[in-house]
This record gives sequence, structure tokens and C-alpha cells, in this order.
Amino acid sequence: MALTTAPGATRRTGPVAPTPSRTAGRRAGLGRKVRDNLTGHTFLIGAVACFAVFSWYPMVRGVVMSFQRTRRGETTWVGWDNYSRIIADPSFWTAWKNTFVFTGLALVLGYLVPFFVAILLNELRHAKGYLRVLVYLPVMLPPASALFLFKFYAYDPSEAGLFNAILTALGLPTSEWMQSPTMTMPAMVIASTWMNMGGAVLIYLAALQNIPGELYEAAEIDGAGLWRRILHVTVPQTRLILALLAMLQIVATMQLFIEPLILANGAGTQDSATSVAYLIYQHGFFQNDLNGAAALGVIMLVVLAGFSAVYLRLTARQD
Amino acid sequence: MSVPQYRKVAALALAAGLGLSLAACSTKSDDSSDAGGKVTITVDCQPVGAQKELLKNWNDDVAEFQRQNPDIVVKSVSVGEQCNNPPDFTARLAGGTVTDVFYGYMTDLQQVLDSGQAMDIGQYATKDTIPTWDSVDPALKDVFTDGGKLYAVPVKNYSMGLIYNKALFQRAGLDVNNPPKTWPEVRAAAKKISALGDGIAGYAEYSAGNTGGWHFTSLLYSQGGQVLSADGKKADFNNAMGKQVLQNLKDMRYGDNSMGSRQLLQWGDLLTNAGAGKVGMFIGAPDATQAIVSQFQGKYQDWAMGPLPGQDGPAKATLGGGEGYFFKKGLSPEQVKAGLKWLAYQKLTPGKGQFDYVRAKPQNYPVGLPQPLLFANGSDAQKQELELRKANANVDTTNFAVFEANPVPIKGEPRNAQAIYAVLDAAMSGVLTNPNANIDALLKTAEDKVNQLLAAQS
Amino acid sequence: MAADLTTRTLVSHAQLRRGRGRVLYWIVLSVVVAGFTLVFLGPLYWMVTGALKSGQEIAQTPPTLFPRDPQPGNYVDAWTNLDLAKLLFNTFYYATGAVLFQLVLDTAAAYALSKLRPVLGKLILGMMLATLMIPAMVLIVPQYVTVIDLPIVHVNLLDSPFAIWLPLVANAFNIFLLKRFFDSIPEDLMAAAVMDGASPLRTLWSIVLPMSRPILGVVAIFAVTAVWKDFLWPKLVMPSPETRTVSVGIYAFAGGTPMNVVIAASVIAAIPTVVLFLIFQRNIMSGLTTGGLKG
Repeated sequence: MALTTAPGATRRTGPVAPTPSRTAGRRAGLGRKVRDNLTGHTFLIGAVACFAVFSWYPMVRGVVMSFQRTRRGETTWVGWDNYSRIIADPSFWTAWKNTFVFTGLALVLGYLVPFFVAILLNELRHAKGYLRVLVYLPVMLPPASALFLFKFYAYDPSEAGLFNAILTALGLPTSEWMQSPTMTMPAMVIASTWMNMGGAVLIYLAALQNIPGELYEAAEIDGAGLWRRILHVTVPQTRLILALLAMLQIVATMQLFIEPLILANGAGTQDSATSVAYLIYQHGFFQNDLNGAAALGVIMLVVLAGFSAVYLRLTARQD
Repeated sequence: MSVPQYRKVAALALAAGLGLSLAACSTKSDDSSDAGGKVTITVDCQPVGAQKELLKNWNDDVAEFQRQNPDIVVKSVSVGEQCNNPPDFTARLAGGTVTDVFYGYMTDLQQVLDSGQAMDIGQYATKDTIPTWDSVDPALKDVFTDGGKLYAVPVKNYSMGLIYNKALFQRAGLDVNNPPKTWPEVRAAAKKISALGDGIAGYAEYSAGNTGGWHFTSLLYSQGGQVLSADGKKADFNNAMGKQVLQNLKDMRYGDNSMGSRQLLQWGDLLTNAGAGKVGMFIGAPDATQAIVSQFQGKYQDWAMGPLPGQDGPAKATLGGGEGYFFKKGLSPEQVKAGLKWLAYQKLTPGKGQFDYVRAKPQNYPVGLPQPLLFANGSDAQKQELELRKANANVDTTNFAVFEANPVPIKGEPRNAQAIYAVLDAAMSGVLTNPNANIDALLKTAEDKVNQLLAAQS
Repeated sequence: MAADLTTRTLVSHAQLRRGRGRVLYWIVLSVVVAGFTLVFLGPLYWMVTGALKSGQEIAQTPPTLFPRDPQPGNYVDAWTNLDLAKLLFNTFYYATGAVLFQLVLDTAAAYALSKLRPVLGKLILGMMLATLMIPAMVLIVPQYVTVIDLPIVHVNLLDSPFAIWLPLVANAFNIFLLKRFFDSIPEDLMAAAVMDGASPLRTLWSIVLPMSRPILGVVAIFAVTAVWKDFLWPKLVMPSPETRTVSVGIYAFAGGTPMNVVIAASVIAAIPTVVLFLIFQRNIMSGLTTGGLKG
């Protein structure tokens, strides 16, 4: 509904007197002010209500829940019990370790690969549309579809698996993929990068197109090679986007859930795939412990908040 | 997009959105009102559309039951192929969206009580509402009893044994009527079967999605062990019996390479392989064969079952479990009675509902499996049921004769089963995916974890 | 294309047109085209043909490139057994609703914050933006408990599409994008409308929105993608088989369905969006690259 437009109302940049703009409104009486405010809040009310109910209130509720325990329909205050129980959970530290490893690997692979793919695509003068569509295609698959594809075909641990068949054909040693504790994380990062990188590539491409060509020209005249041009022109020029996407990606990868759930049937071999998000799910919905899950959520929030603080510090200094 | 295109899309979307939300409103189910003197109850675990015959049977049962009880209306709700999928079950309990009469496992009692959603039906569950009630195995009633109060009606009961593929046994030159009775015999048979090649696993085992821990428990019982100490406060599997369980698996997996290369299996994965004829043996309940046939494209005549093997003789015990129907808190006495009558009709009457073997015989569902074993040995209902089953069997009952002739003592699941199974998954996946796995270390880790877990839960 | 030839990028055009550079360029181009086709299209080919293979053929070493004995029955089974039509319909229904709710409510809010600036507007914006730092997983439990029993009104939203639509409105990123875009619309334009006696609604409708089409397109794409890609939330709030989304439905059935059928279902589930994407790819690409996150 908001998409439609009144006919002929596209652009009214005709002869408009610019003077009596906001100042006119400011001078108006109190009644007008109240009315304006009322209109403003009327426009806001829908979104604010949604934020209040589904975002602000649950935040508070989450903290409250983490200090309560509901049993047999009765809720009591239990102090830090939920926290100590959650931290005593044998998988707690493993889950954090796994989550950080995934986040780190995803930064190397899922973050840098799209950047270089974008640089490469930006240089090519042919088949541009085709390549862009290709990169974005996996984003269009339902995530479960894409992951089942990897689980059943690519990561099949026998010789019949796609990756193993390719490795064998190339004369390389095969892997057991999800069945090998050391390959679990890399395998999940590969699948996750494949299915998600399209969006990042497109955003980088947009940023690359905004880099003034003269900068490269000048760098080249100064004798800068390909690599130095990337390092001294491309990276600084896309710094803001790079920083923003790094943050978004870290927040996203810290929530690792569907990859272990589908690829590793949950915890993976010897807990090698358990993530913090999966642990929240396990506690809340398998072990009948919503309060413990809420406490784990609060812990995750604190970790991410600390992380964001560091991030803001770093980016603020750079600027 | 150009302007006109935009507008067209928006208009379409708007029209569609409005129409749909209207439709959505109208599909909301109305409350169970007692209008016109009728009692309405909602019941879940109706078969899903893919289970065509089961669904038809269910619907026919509802129609016939309502004809016999004109003052009762049964509203069926389907909650998926697996009626109790833990996250969804938890969601329904927490959300209070369980049906009036709702399905659960025997191990769910504690969670259901914690949620405050169940009611005591002790005073209503009698011969008046359930004619066969006195024949129902008292041990099963006990499972659903807490503090002297009864919370559910048992409708299914099973115990695990060794399921094996006769066709593969034959090809490997093994005696199809004499399944392995000890773990060393299982190992020898598995070796012969996997020697057939073609990616066939002689013996297959779970190690993911909490099913690994579940089977570890069963294997441990066969050795005479237990998961928790008698007082339920300590892990009790880090001992010679627990080690033997893992050692047997390790020997088959890496010593003989007779378990196939695909591990980290959970329920459906193993049965998929079994349906494709790639599994020689695995442990499971009799109805696993039903799933293999109806869901995983397998054939009945291929599958037979023996008792759970033990280490050097018959198994010391086997894992048993079962299902029941709980009643939601706040139901009127009339609704509870109506619900009990429905369960009596569909689940606990020989010749009707799940025991309507005449109807099931021509269908693609097995008659002749030694389950659900609801009635106490020697009771009238049990004899009746057995006769009907024998008369209408559509699977070769001799396939299960060895299993039935050699009963093994049944042991229930431990408390906190799901959390403990999650821990034990790691031990199972350890021996099945790591050729250099250290069994002592795996068990020690699992023991520490379970102890921590128990300490924190108390 | 024409414009591209004039923009200088990392490597100069002149260099690419000269002898060695030219050869190198064509080699790189062919490697990239071949490599990308293999990496991004190859798996899809494997998926479509794999779903046609029998269970025995899939387990074969080495894997076959073409199904020897195609079993289209897998696709039929997937369609009927998983009730894919219903799952797909649900997903598109939720996506459509999400787009409408987000466009209407978030646009209105961003407009108010950008142009009407009521009292406490800054505070509200701040509180909205603060939620950007809170990942969904952190709130999943309390949010879930809230949806089960909405505060004050005590309504249970499980299995209701509103459980998907309304939480998505609370999307600070959308508000931020929209507000920034509205901020860039000159005040003079609005002032003129106010002079003409237009109400704020009228101004929004006939001046602001027509200029904001690119950004509205971006918000719409994000809304659709969010519904399409989300998994755990719909899994939790849509527990009934009749209300599931495609991703959740396929996952739910994967446990009790042969792998070929699961893959066949995955293929069918992917077709509608891939087709939509191919039809609208030009708009989606330009929307994402130009409207979204510039500098």
C-alpha cells in the first residue's frame, strides 16, 4: 500500500519559495505544537509498539527470567542458580570455544573471500551479470535445502561423497568431513560461506564502484603494484563498509545454529559442533530449562556487548 | 521497476494479504464448548497425510466412536509424523497449546509435571471408562504415576532387541533363524555381512541427536550395567561394563571395519540405510521394521528380530519405553471421561482401533509384531489380543519368534534422559569416528559431565 | 557497460587491451567463469540429478555424473508426502505480510523520526538503534515466552502469522536505512507541500514515498529474505505441520524420510525463489547495490 503513488505527484521541484520553512512551524502556537507532536507519535506508534513488545520488553524479561525458575507451574526467585547450572554444564566451555573458532574461521574465509571475489568481479568486463547472478544464487535457496545438499552429497564421508570423489580424482587424500573433529568447523564454514556470501559480494561491489578512478591512477604513477594498490587504495576507500560488515558478520556467526543442527545432527562428533546458540536451544527446548536458556542468552549478550564496546573503540580511534 | 509495474505488484500483494488474513482468521479453531449438551475433546497425534492408511483408520475410528457416543465430539490434531519431537513438545507445553488429551513418552512425565499442564486422572480411570483397565499392565500405570497420582494412560510399550536383515544374512551364509545371541557373535556376523561389500554395514549404530546416548543405555543394560547409581545421584557407567560396550563398537568399527563409513547417524539416517538394504543388524524396537517399510522403502520379509545380545550369554536387561496420553489441566470431569472412553476405544480394546487387526491385515502395516504389550501377562485382554494377532498376522510371526521366546528383563530410561543422552552421544561418536579413540578417557569425560549435570540439577 | 568503460578500476583498461595483459585478462576471465559455474551451479546440478538417483546409486563409488536409472518418483513423493504446496504457500504468505507490515509501520516511524520529530523522538530512535547490537539468539527465549502470552492482552500467538510479522517490524536496521534516506530529502520540498496545506500523511504519500522507491525496494527485499532465511524462530512459533515454513518443514520431515526424497523436496522448494530471482534479478541487484549501503 505504501508502494503506490498518487498520479503525477512524483517530483514537485518547481518554483518553491524556500524561506518560510521550519521557522514558520516553530513560531506557531502551542496548540499547533501539541497537534504536530500527536501526529508524529501517531506515525510512530505501530513500530514503537512492536519494539516495545518484541524487543525491549523481552530484554528485560530475559534478565528477569534468568534469576527465576518455573517448576510445576510455579515461579520462584533463585538468585544465580541458573547461571551456576549453565556454567556447570559440561558443554558450556566447549560451546564457547567452538563458537569462537567458527567466528574466527568465518572471518578469514567468509569475510575475506567475498571481498576478493568482489574485487575480481569488478575488474572483469565480460559476463558481469552472469557472474553476479551465480554468486547470489545460493542465497535464494532455503537454508535447510542448501545444508542438506552439503550434508548428504558434499560431506559424505565415504568415497561416494562428492568432495571425496573430487579429491580422489585429483589424487589428494580424502576426509571424513563432519565425522572428523578437526574438519567439522572448516566444513561448516565452507557451507555457510557458500550459501551466504552473495549478499556481501554485492555490497562490496557497490562500495568498489564508488572509488574514484584517479586514486588508482595516482597510485600507479607512484609505481604501486597490484597488491599495494589494493592495500593502499581499495581497502582504505572501503574501510567503513568493511568495518560494518565485519561487525555484522561477527554478530551473525556468533549465533551459529542451523549449520550444526543440520550438518552435524546437533553436537557433531565428540561435541565438535556444539555452539552456544545450539546449547540455548538444547537447554530451552530439549531439557525443559527455559530459565537456564535465558541465563545463557544473557551471558551471550554480555559477551557481545563487550565485543561491541571494543569494536566501537577501535573504529572510533581509526576515524 | 517502472512505476506501473510497482503499482500492480503492490495492489496484488495488498489484495492477497487482505484475503489471506481473512482466511487465516477463519481457520482459527473454536473453543471446546459444550453447546447442545455435547462434550468436545481435542486429541493430538493424528497421523499425517503421508501416512494415508493410518490416517484413514484414525478418521474411521473417530467416526465410529462418535456414532457409538453421540454426545462426544473428538477433534483430531496432527502434530507431525513424530508425535513427540522434543522441541515442539516443549513448545506446546510451555505455550499451553497442548490438546485436551495429549501424547507423550513415558520419560516425559517429569517435564509435563514441571509445566503444570497435566491433571490427575486417577479417580476417572476405572473399569467404567476403560473396560480393559484392570488388564493393563500395572507396571505401565506406575510409570505414569507420581506421588500416588495417575497422569496418563499408557497406549504403547516396547523393548529393544536385535533387528537383522534376513536377506543379507542369507547372502553372507548366516543362519537366518538363529541370530547372534552374544556380542562376540554379533561381531563375527557383522564381519561376514560387511564382507559382501557394496557399502553394506554389518552392524549399524547411532551417535548423534541424543540417539547415540539412548542406544548406549540399551547396550549398557545388556551388559548388566546402569546409567545412574540406584539413588540417581551419580553416573554409573564408567566401569568394566561401559568399557565393554564401547570396546565392542570400536572393534567392529575399526578392528573389522564392519560398521560402514557413514557415522554420526540419528534415527532416520540409520533407517534410511536399512531401507536401502545397507544394514545387516542394529538394535531397536519391533516397530522399527514398520518404519523401515512404511517410510524408508524397505520390505517386511527382509527383517527379523532376536533378543538383545549379551556379552557372554543372554542380555542381562534391555531398554524399554512407551507412550501414553496425558490430560490437560482444567478439563471438566465430562471431558476427562470422554477422553478416557476414546482412548479405551482406540488404544485399549482388542479388535478395535490399534488392535483392529482385521482392518490392518491387508494394509501396508504389520500385524504380528510383538507389541504394544499393554496388557498384563495372563489377563483376558492379553489372551484376546494375542489370538487376534496370530489369526490376522500379515508378517511372518516366526520372524519375531526368537525375540518373543527369549524375553529379557526390561529396564526404563534414566531420569534426565535427554540431557544424559546428549553427553553420551559424544562417547559414542568418539569410538565410531576416531580410530585412536581412548575409551577410558571418553567414559571418564562423560562421567564427569553427567555428574556435573546431576549436581547442578538437584 | 558503456559507463563502465570510462571508470578506472584497480587495473587500467589500457593495460588489459595490450598484448600480454589482454591474454592474461582472457585467461582470468575464462577461469573465473568456469570456476564460478562449477562452484555455484555445480552443486545445484548435483542436487537436481542426485534427487533422481536411487538409494543404491547414491551410495556408489565413484558417484555417477548422470542418473543411470532416473526415479522421478522421488519428486512426486516429496511433493505429496511433505505437502510442499502448503509449505511454500505459508512461506510466501508470511513473506508478503512481513513486507507489508514493515513497509507501512517502519516507513511511518522513520518518516516521523526524520521529518516530524516529535518530543522524545531522539530517545526513541536511540532505543531502537540500541537493539541493533542485540542478536536474535539472545532474545529467543524471552521473545518466545512473550509470544506465547502477550503482556496485558494475554493472547497466544503460536501458529499465528502475526508471530512472524510483528517481531520483524521491530527492525532497527530498516528504521535506520529509511530515516537516513528521508533525511536526505530536502526540507524545501516538504515545506512547499506544507504551504499547500497538505497534511503530514499527504506529504508522506505524495512527496516522500515516490522519491523513496529504491530504499523501499531494499526494505522489501530484506523483509522477504529475512522470512526466507529464518529458521529457528519459525520453527519455534509455528509448531503445527500446517503452519510451517518451507525450511522448517523440510527439516522436520528429513528425520523420517529417505534422503533422495529430502533432496528432491529441497530442489522443489528452491525453484520458486530461484525463478523469481532470475526474473527480478536486475531490480534486486541494482536495489541491493545502489539503494542499500552506500559509503
